[in-house]
Amino acid sequence: MRTGETELRDWMIRALDGDGKAYARLLDALVPRLRAFFRRRMAGRDDDIEDLLQETLIALHTRRMTYDRARSFTGWLYAIARYKMIDHFRRQGRTVPIEGLEESLSIASFEDEVGAGLDTEALLATIPDKQARAIRATRIDGLSTAEAAEREGMGESDVKVSTHRGLKALAARVREAIR
Amino acid sequence: MNGPASTEKTTCECLVASLSADLCAVPRHAAARRILTGLGLGLLATGAALGLGLGIRHDLMAAMHGGGFWMKAAYAATLGALGLAATLRLARPDCGPQRKLWLLLLPLALLSVMATAELLHTPRAQWLDMWLGHSWKACAGVVLLLSLPILTGLLWALKRLAPTRLALAGATAGLAAGAWAACLYCLHCPETSAVFVLTWYSLGIALATGLGALLGPRLLRW
Repeated sequence: MRTGETELRDWMIRALDGDGKAYARLLDALVPRLRAFFRRRMAGRDDDIEDLLQETLIALHTRRMTYDRARSFTGWLYAIARYKMIDHFRRQGRTVPIEGLEESLSIASFEDEVGAGLDTEALLATIPDKQARAIRATRIDGLSTAEAAEREGMGESDVKVSTHRGLKALAARVREAIR
Repeated sequence: MNGPASTEKTTCECLVASLSADLCAVPRHAAARRILTGLGLGLLATGAALGLGLGIRHDLMAAMHGGGFWMKAAYAATLGALGLAATLRLARPDCGPQRKLWLLLLPLALLSVMATAELLHTPRAQWLDMWLGHSWKACAGVVLLLSLPILTGLLWALKRLAPTRLALAGATAGLAAGAWAACLYCLHCPETSAVFVLTWYSLGIALATGLGALLGPRLLRW
């Protein structure tokens, strides 16, 4: 299974405390992600991508003190990757194809990238707690309605209704965000 | 994958290995500490320059009983605190949109109200004297000069951090530097009118902010 925000963040925090093994695991997990991030935005320029990848890893290393343990790790990571990419374009000046640049600078595609790994949690935090718990139990942890009801100490019909309302609210949030 | 791609892969693996071998622990709030260190060193230098160069006003103790002194100091310190908080946020790459910057308008608005009230209670003939005080020609320039050590300290700190909005980060560092310099300058400056402070102190702080905004993109790239 693909490692998620929680695991990456956990490794990062252990790395900040000096755990070299967790750090190596973290960096290993980040390499393919970053490569995909850059490849999607700079297709066909593999040398640039490898340069950027290494620059990003070094920047992440030398500036790791700017990671705030209370905040999203992937948000921090892609903010660095994005800065490095823009800086790269800036240094290259005229050789940037405009359509590619526009796509790579657009907030939407950036959030796309971050959004997948990043917190469903952040989104769930925007809806009432009960609905969030119901969705987490039935849709993320994959419990049946009965199991979810037992775990969350809610009635079964309550679980169903909360999940339904919560999903509706989430859909509305996402629609707002796209607009 | 073969050929160049696989050699790249090994380069990357080497990099990962050397970075994780080079790892040492980072204390919590290391970034904030670095910025506060820069600020502290700058304040020391500015304080020394003020004490040795301009001198502290002789009636400081008496002045501290008056409202004018505290009005000036509170205005500058509020701007300084807000500027510093913004700099702390902008030192992170994932700083997001800076929605809190409008708070800077609050001290400005409050002082404007005080200045208006002051003018309404003063005969029109004295308005010009009150506005220009004794030192309007020097005030903004001195604040700008005094802000330089602090700005240097803050930019030094930011240089090792990861600001992604360089002009804005430079500007907030300049704002903090200017405002804290103005706060220290209160120890020397005998002016007490709100109109004076609103104009000339703010001008000095704005100049420092502008300087920071100019320097940010040049000095803070990483």
